Amino acid sequence: MADVIECIGLVKTFGSTRALDGLDLTVAPGEVHGFLGPNGSGKTVTMRIVLGLLRQDSGDARLFGGDPWQDAVALHRRLAYVPGETNLWPNLTGGEIIDILGELRGGIDVRRRDQLVERFDLDPRKPARTYSKGNRQKVALVAGLSSDAELLILDEPTAGLDPLMEAVFQDCVLDAKAEGRTVLLSSHILAEVEKLCDRVTIIRRGRAVQHGTLDELRHLTRTTITVETREPASVLAGHPGVHDLVVDGHRAGFDVDSDRLDEVVSHLAGLGVVALTSNPPTLEELFLRHYGDELAEAGVDADAG
Amino acid sequence: MRTLAGLGRLVRLALRRDRFRLPVWLVALGGTIVGSAASLPPVYPDQEAIDTYASLFGDNPALVAFAGPGHGFDDPNIGVILVNEVQLWTCIGVALMSIFLVNRHTRQEEDEERTEVVRANPVGRHAPTAAAVLVVAAANVVLAAVCGVGFVALDYPVVGSLVLAASFAACGLAFTGIAAVTAQLASTSRASLAFSSVALGAAFTLRAIGDISGSWHRWLSPIGWSQGVRAFADERWWPLAIAVAFTFAAVAGAFWLSTRRDLGSGILAPRPGPARAPRWAIRPEGLALRLQRGPLVAWMLGLFTIGALYGSIGQDVDEMIEENPTLAEFLAQLEGVDLADAYFATTLVLQGLLAAGFTISSVMRLRGEEVAGRADPVLGGPVSRWRWAASHLAIAGFGTIAVVGAGGLGVGVAYAIVSGDAGEVVRLVGASLVTVPAVLVLGGIAVALYGASPRLAAVAWAGLAAAVLVEFFGELLRLPGWLRAISPLYHLPGVPAEALRPAPLLVLSALAVALVAGGLASFRRRDIAVR
Repeated sequence: MADVIECIGLVKTFGSTRALDGLDLTVAPGEVHGFLGPNGSGKTVTMRIVLGLLRQDSGDARLFGGDPWQDAVALHRRLAYVPGETNLWPNLTGGEIIDILGELRGGIDVRRRDQLVERFDLDPRKPARTYSKGNRQKVALVAGLSSDAELLILDEPTAGLDPLMEAVFQDCVLDAKAEGRTVLLSSHILAEVEKLCDRVTIIRRGRAVQHGTLDELRHLTRTTITVETREPASVLAGHPGVHDLVVDGHRAGFDVDSDRLDEVVSHLAGLGVVALTSNPPTLEELFLRHYGDELAEAGVDADAG
Repeated sequence: MRTLAGLGRLVRLALRRDRFRLPVWLVALGGTIVGSAASLPPVYPDQEAIDTYASLFGDNPALVAFAGPGHGFDDPNIGVILVNEVQLWTCIGVALMSIFLVNRHTRQEEDEERTEVVRANPVGRHAPTAAAVLVVAAANVVLAAVCGVGFVALDYPVVGSLVLAASFAACGLAFTGIAAVTAQLASTSRASLAFSSVALGAAFTLRAIGDISGSWHRWLSPIGWSQGVRAFADERWWPLAIAVAFTFAAVAGAFWLSTRRDLGSGILAPRPGPARAPRWAIRPEGLALRLQRGPLVAWMLGLFTIGALYGSIGQDVDEMIEENPTLAEFLAQLEGVDLADAYFATTLVLQGLLAAGFTISSVMRLRGEEVAGRADPVLGGPVSRWRWAASHLAIAGFGTIAVVGAGGLGVGVAYAIVSGDAGEVVRLVGASLVTVPAVLVLGGIAVALYGASPRLAAVAWAGLAAAVLVEFFGELLRLPGWLRAISPLYHLPGVPAEALRPAPLLVLSALAVALVAGGLASFRRRDIAVR
């Protein structure tokens, strides 16, 4: 099946700022796609181009195979969008806004809406101006999630939500996935992305620096191993792919490049393994590796992450 | 004084934030006022011209309603003409400046939750309000000083110049106090502006009634206090003391009210609203109506009231002419014209200019929605840009007809009552609607500018300001015809005094349509604004 979103070489400048600099992004049908990047890296600009709210200077953006600028209306019937910074009409109530946004999209599932209002513990009778940041976010989420759109575009949807509500949100995304819907989720909450996403694209300064399934990406990073062996493990020193080896008698700790894991473990087997724990690489480490130099500039030690 | 802690820093913050805004207000208002003052002596070079002016304006209730009581017209000098020409409008100008600026630094800051950040510091409860009041009061004093110096430099008598300039500041101060109070009463900045504007409208109306009938009503109005100084006639300073005392009382009242409410809320609390949207609101057109309903109704009521005020004195125009031979002679040139109708033709144009305020602010709603990011979720749905923009523009267009019609209805109903002829209602509503195409041209300019860029949209207000200037001062300043022709209302047939000529209406309508079409075409081609 054709990709739901396909962006190739998107460039968008605002005056002298180059917000997108040749960005590629593909989202396949039925997947939950994580769109990761620090603030100002171009996530929102990309989403607004995909929605036809902005026009790219060059490059190609396809949504359901169509042109998001030309065919905005028809394409928007098939998606629901939850903007990151939710600005609501201050004099309408939360309930009114949910109905209006949902119905504008061509109808909402009333039962689902009522369920969501309850699950998110939202009082729909209050005027939007009286809502806290988290409650405003809930209004936008309920409006987006109560649709039966094929594609959900969610721009940092959990900003301002408490952990309980974050869990409710994650359930909702997993429900959507089970129904076969596609989700594009921008975030910088890595635990959330790890839990929900099938594939991720990591963006930095307007370019995609990494993309693939989480498993694929993990291969690009290191696994942390702590091991107790009968023979001292000091022979591992200098072994290709082994980093930061610390040997303390029969105990040793080190990181190993994930694509060398196989040979290093066979090597360990020869030393007589008594106990072994391995920690798979986290997305956080991956993320920190990509932004390591920016962190270093800011005076933060990336490895300490 | 702990409640005022941090006042100095907040004053500096306000001056920093408004480092462009304040000078723009001061230069625009000061320039207009001093410029008008400079333009008068060449037009009225000798006593004869001045006497003619005084006898023309002296007792005409329509002119009194829109100029002032005309103190000193029994022994006129050029200064009295200056008062008559600029004092009322300047009072309204400084009142608007004070209302907008006070609201910006009080209720609007609270709406945007910046007051919370400020007050979380060692800053006293009353310091934000006090800082706003101090800055705006200072702006009024500076403006008055500029005007006073300008008048004296233009050779107007010194005492009259100073008392007139001081009267501007007095009116500005009074509305500074009023805006400080409404900021406490209202729970949003929009509502606060609405309350203050109603107070300004009431002040205008009370003094209009007072000036026409010579009654005590004028003393209920801050504008009436300012006019009470009788600049260039037999000057008196004590009405200024009323304004100053009122300002202190109002600010003290605002302080007291602020202790009676929570930060972020108003004294007048909003009620819980509906949990479900009504069916009609669930479409772009319905949403636009839902969002603009309140202002639309307010404008209709406002225009109806003002129209009724004009209509109620329509009968007096005839009587006044009988008592005033100069005016009768002047109007006799308009052969075969009913004098009341000539008066209505003028007032309906004035109402058209007021209605243009609704039209432009309604078009500006598009800009507000876009810049606040509220267009995104709607346009992110299956709603075309064309439909989203058209839904708001439909409210602007049909709303203009409703607002203008409400004004005509006010004139018609009031005149029907005083003249005893019910047929006047239909006739005057019809006459009022003739101004609609011209008003829509002013709105069309706003659409064209907005379509090009949301930042440009506000320039549309300059179009209205230009139209107001040439309509009000065109005759007086003897502006050339081509300059007066920039106002779309200049081209309207003078209905009901003259016959209805359809040609200009068709041309104006076509122009409005072209402007809107051009604006929509460029809107569909540009980016939606990024915050």
